[in-house]
Amino acid sequence: MYFLTLPTKKRIQGMSTAIAAQRVRVKKPSYPCISCCSEPLTIMFARSSFRIALDAWRIVSRQSITTSSRIYPYSRVAIIPSAPPGSPPASLRRGKGLMAYLQQTLPSTEKQKIISTIFSRTHPDRVRPGTVLTVNLTHAPTSFSGVLISVRRRGPDTSFVLRNVVQRTGVEMQFFVNSPHVKEILVVSRAGGLDRKKRKGLKKAKLFYLRDSPEKMTAMSAGVR
Amino acid sequence: MIGLKGTLNVIDNSGALLVECVNVLKNKVNNGWGSVGDEIICVVKHARPISSGAQTVSNVLKVRRGDVRRAVIVRCKKPVRRPDGRWVRFDDNAAVLLNNKREMLGSRIGGVVSADLRMKGWGKIVSLAPKVV
Repeated sequence: MYFLTLPTKKRIQGMSTAIAAQRVRVKKPSYPCISCCSEPLTIMFARSSFRIALDAWRIVSRQSITTSSRIYPYSRVAIIPSAPPGSPPASLRRGKGLMAYLQQTLPSTEKQKIISTIFSRTHPDRVRPGTVLTVNLTHAPTSFSGVLISVRRRGPDTSFVLRNVVQRTGVEMQFFVNSPHVKEILVVSRAGGLDRKKRKGLKKAKLFYLRDSPEKMTAMSAGVR
Repeated sequence: MIGLKGTLNVIDNSGALLVECVNVLKNKVNNGWGSVGDEIICVVKHARPISSGAQTVSNVLKVRRGDVRRAVIVRCKKPVRRPDGRWVRFDDNAAVLLNNKREMLGSRIGGVVSADLRMKGWGKIVSLAPKVV
């Protein structure tokens, strides 16, 4: 038996689940995921898995040397967002309400605001399909405008499709709201215009019929570049 | 996703209007499907009539119906993923004709092309295009 005692208050990131799952027994207390532990943890390795124990020890020792510089040792370009403020509650450690917690904390605060207002289902300022939007990106080509034809609401994975006619060819682009490349989403003109009665005319959530009728498309996107 | 028998509009001034794909080149494993930036062998199905009077003006080789040429796909209806996670979809499939040395046959491009061409190494076509999305 080889015992590997992990030091207190160290986040063991990068410990592959292969190591954790195979021939490893975690001494009590048990945790839902090995990367959440902040108390001393002892891992028992069977005699036959000396190599695995050695690899694990290497990972831990490498972590203790370069903790300040590298949280995730396997990639230099991976973006590791900072942990949300406050320690997670005990029920979350057990796995209760995990998805709801992630929905609140994964996107950045500005993006959360966009998701909860513009792309929500009930907010008064929400964007309806048929609205003309402009998306500004951080890289070239910097902007794309188009009629919103569908919104796919999946919390942090929310995305929307804009359709535009560029040089007599229809182009559709699907943007993910949470993407760091999406800088701004601007509303050019609301669906149905300013007339409140006309707003009720558009009754569909997905305007895929615009692909087949260019007249309706031009009616909606009149004057958009 | 252009494969055998897939038709594409031609958007350069080489004279062809519609080509039909016969083979998709280059990639070792593509299951017979080509996307934006892939080279294909195609047969010209429909071409602009060549009038012998106007032939002397341009130095562009005009293709005829039935010619077998190479082409590169510049737009396709199947959504293509960009590295930043976006999906881009065009309303039609389009191609630009090439010769055996991967040079364009035409001299102008009339229409939008996909920006994925730049990533696959077709910078010349991207620079000639009036609009790149």
